[in-house]
Amino acid sequence: MSEPLLEARGIVKSFGGVRALRGADFAVHPGEVAALVGDNGAGKSTLVKILSGTLAPDGGEIWFEGRQVTIPNPVVARELGIETVYQDLALAPELDPAANLFLGRELVRPGPLGRLGFLDKAAMRRQTNKAFADLGIGLQDSGAMVANLSGGQRQSVAVSRAATWASKVVFMDEPTAALGVVQSARVRDLIRRVRDSGIAVVLISHNMPEVMELADRIEVLRLGIRVTRIRAADTTMEQVIAAMTGALGNEEVA
Amino acid sequence: MSEIREVPPAETKDEPAEVVGQTGVQGMLRRRLTETTTWTFLILLGIVVGFAALRFEQFATVFNFRNIAADASGLLILAVGMTFVIITAGIDLSVGSVLVFSGVIAGKVMLALGGEGWGAIGAGLVAGLAAGLAWGVVNGVLVTKARVPPLIVTLGTLGMALGSALLITGGIDVRGIPLQLTTTVGIGQLAGVPYVVLIAAVVTAAGAILLSMTRFGRYTYAIGSNAEAARRAGINVDRHLIKVYALSGLLAGLAGMVSLARFATTTIGGHSTDNLAAIAAVVLGGTSLFGGIGTVLGTVVGVFIPAVLQNGFVILGVQPFWQQVAVGAVLIVAVYIDQLKRRAQERGERR
Amino acid sequence: MRSRWLVGLLTLMLALAACGGDDEGGGAGGGSGAKQYKLTLIQGVKGDQFYVTMQCGAQAAAKAAGATLDVTAPDEFDASLQTPVVNAVVAKKPDAILVAPTDTQAMIPPLTQAKAAGIKLVFVDTTTENGAELAESEIASDNEEGGREAARTLAKLTGGKGSVLVINVKPGISTTDARAKGFEEEIKKTPGLKYIGQEYSNDKVEIAASKATAALAAHSDLVGIFGTNLFSAEGAATGLRSAGASKKVKIVGFDAGPKQVEDLEQGIVQALIAQKPADIGKAGVEQAIAALKGEPVQKKIGTGFVVVTKDNMNNPDVQPFLYKSSC
Repeated sequence: MSEPLLEARGIVKSFGGVRALRGADFAVHPGEVAALVGDNGAGKSTLVKILSGTLAPDGGEIWFEGRQVTIPNPVVARELGIETVYQDLALAPELDPAANLFLGRELVRPGPLGRLGFLDKAAMRRQTNKAFADLGIGLQDSGAMVANLSGGQRQSVAVSRAATWASKVVFMDEPTAALGVVQSARVRDLIRRVRDSGIAVVLISHNMPEVMELADRIEVLRLGIRVTRIRAADTTMEQVIAAMTGALGNEEVA
Repeated sequence: MSEIREVPPAETKDEPAEVVGQTGVQGMLRRRLTETTTWTFLILLGIVVGFAALRFEQFATVFNFRNIAADASGLLILAVGMTFVIITAGIDLSVGSVLVFSGVIAGKVMLALGGEGWGAIGAGLVAGLAAGLAWGVVNGVLVTKARVPPLIVTLGTLGMALGSALLITGGIDVRGIPLQLTTTVGIGQLAGVPYVVLIAAVVTAAGAILLSMTRFGRYTYAIGSNAEAARRAGINVDRHLIKVYALSGLLAGLAGMVSLARFATTTIGGHSTDNLAAIAAVVLGGTSLFGGIGTVLGTVVGVFIPAVLQNGFVILGVQPFWQQVAVGAVLIVAVYIDQLKRRAQERGERR
Repeated sequence: MRSRWLVGLLTLMLALAACGGDDEGGGAGGGSGAKQYKLTLIQGVKGDQFYVTMQCGAQAAAKAAGATLDVTAPDEFDASLQTPVVNAVVAKKPDAILVAPTDTQAMIPPLTQAKAAGIKLVFVDTTTENGAELAESEIASDNEEGGREAARTLAKLTGGKGSVLVINVKPGISTTDARAKGFEEEIKKTPGLKYIGQEYSNDKVEIAASKATAALAAHSDLVGIFGTNLFSAEGAATGLRSAGASKKVKIVGFDAGPKQVEDLEQGIVQALIAQKPADIGKAGVEQAIAALKGEPVQKKIGTGFVVVTKDNMNNPDVQPFLYKSSC
């Protein structure tokens, strides 16, 4: 197995009296889709937030490209090349897709105007259209407010934002949870395209058929620690579910 | 590329291809035409035409319009700042009090420096603006660091600023402002346009550019739309909010100077409803109290609707109390129509 | 579309306003060939019975002269609010404006504009620093004398011993400044009374009340208060009442509004110096018309006072001078 791109070792995190993570491990390699699965309350979203810089862990180590790092805020995560599609999408509903894509990374006009903070909206819109086209998303009216788009379109905007900026890892927390059949299929296509471009994708999902279809490897979290890591090809959905609910013991499969 | 299974769509709304109205330019045009600002502008136009029809030689004169603009200039300056604040889904109730306080500080400084000459006036201006900025920073810090809701914070600074002004002056308006300030800036004109109107116009233009074309403006909209998303995108939300409230305070200070120039006295008792008038103007102009949406141009329209109404009613001889009733009614109707429009737009674009 | 509804609604509102508006006091009377003059009265503030009574006197005089009289006023007694009103009235182009300027300096620019537009100005009650040049006529009570009268009355009521306070409105109002001045001069003639100075109410009842109670707390020998105008006196009475000191401290108020007359009846206020605002209004209209006709004008008119007490308030020669709430 190649070196993990991003690795979490023994992460501990508590919220008040609740111990969400009790020494959880995780690893993802370049150019693969690693699924992070677990039942409700297993600690998946918490782990994602810690690895994406939104939360700080109480204990444990994070390793990136073979070096130990700390990720105190989302900006540091971004600088490392880690992007996240949160479960709540983290989009600004009253802004258009281009504004959302470039949120926090706005392009400014060249020259002195740029130093004063004048935006280059035309360039942002152009690049957004290109990014959408590259990822196969058809958004005819890219000037519409994100709030007026359908759930699937919004998801696409969030996914393409992460895919555009990520150079190393993309976390996707329940990317198709609120979508219908056709839209889910398109987002899954998107995920495969992102993986194929060499970026590591971490997929958090409840949707077991989707996990089995998309993931290259599956890591199972239960009650705050990792209980199993296995290649998708080497296992079945029933076995994974059993690991999630505790029917199988701890197993480390290379 | 993997195969797309063409399953007949169970939920038609999940089709990205043809939905969302028309392509690029057409879509933009449709959006412009249905924007609230367009409709409130038509309302303003309707009111102007109405009054002109009823009392042409009295209402529709350059003299009258010039006075309406001059009388509205202070409120417009306040409302520009308020636009930024409300777009962040915040509110600033302290603007009237900060206006008064800044005028008091400026007046006292000018008197202390001899009460005459442009040097004293300049020093007073700097002092007044600094005072407004300071109150704005206080608002911003309390809202972001102490996490007190803006309504409460600015209600508190409303009381503190006005109270401080009353303490400093003993409740008596400051008098003896250098006459030059009044005769040149206060009531003077440049090519037929009163200086106070020019000042308000410059502030409005700068505000509009800042809001619509710069990163500062974009951050303002983003934070109002989804502050958490902005935070996760790496935007320093707290620092930006402090800047926005500081801007509101600074502009309140400037409005205080403009008032001082016009009236040669601090007019402490005349600004108790300025905050609500500014908020009403901003909302009338199409800015949403929930944040994320609004324009400075809309605010301009929103400022002039009550101003023209008041002027027209006096000309018509309508009982003064009716003016307040009318302005309140227009506000409710305009916001109601905006709500209806938004809901219709959402339904339409979804399909 | 909904927008059409809105435009229609607004047009309807304007139409109603046009018909239902115009607070006209004068009818179409007068002589056959006489010109009907258009006058406007701009009061100092809305809802003040002094100005309402003035309006009544002015309206009666206008009717008799066959002129029309519009009446309007700002929400607060403040120059920043009176200025837009003046500007709008000037746009209306009446033949003459009767106005009570809310500040001796700040109202000069808009009123100068009015004069430049060819409108004749008559200052009623208050005036500006350059009133003699700006206005055809300045009509007010002799406020200094009124202040002196108040001092004499208060000296009698308090028995001439203790501290006395003046609650004034705010500096820069010609009338109330004069009253305070007259009071201050006259009160010196009663050596037993200590004058502790002026407090300002900013023409707000609540502020007057709190100033009264504060003075009471600071000066245990407070025996008298002179409130220089309607709201100041009313506020002082309220403050004393809530502090339970109505018996101990005597109040002389200026202006005889219905609330003060009631206070007078109940013994909360002991005397009122009533002006004759109806006379001021009447004289204002007469002088304005004289100026418009090119007839000789009286530059300054001083109207008189009536001292109203509980004992005399129902006398037929005092009754007419109590202020009205409506005409």
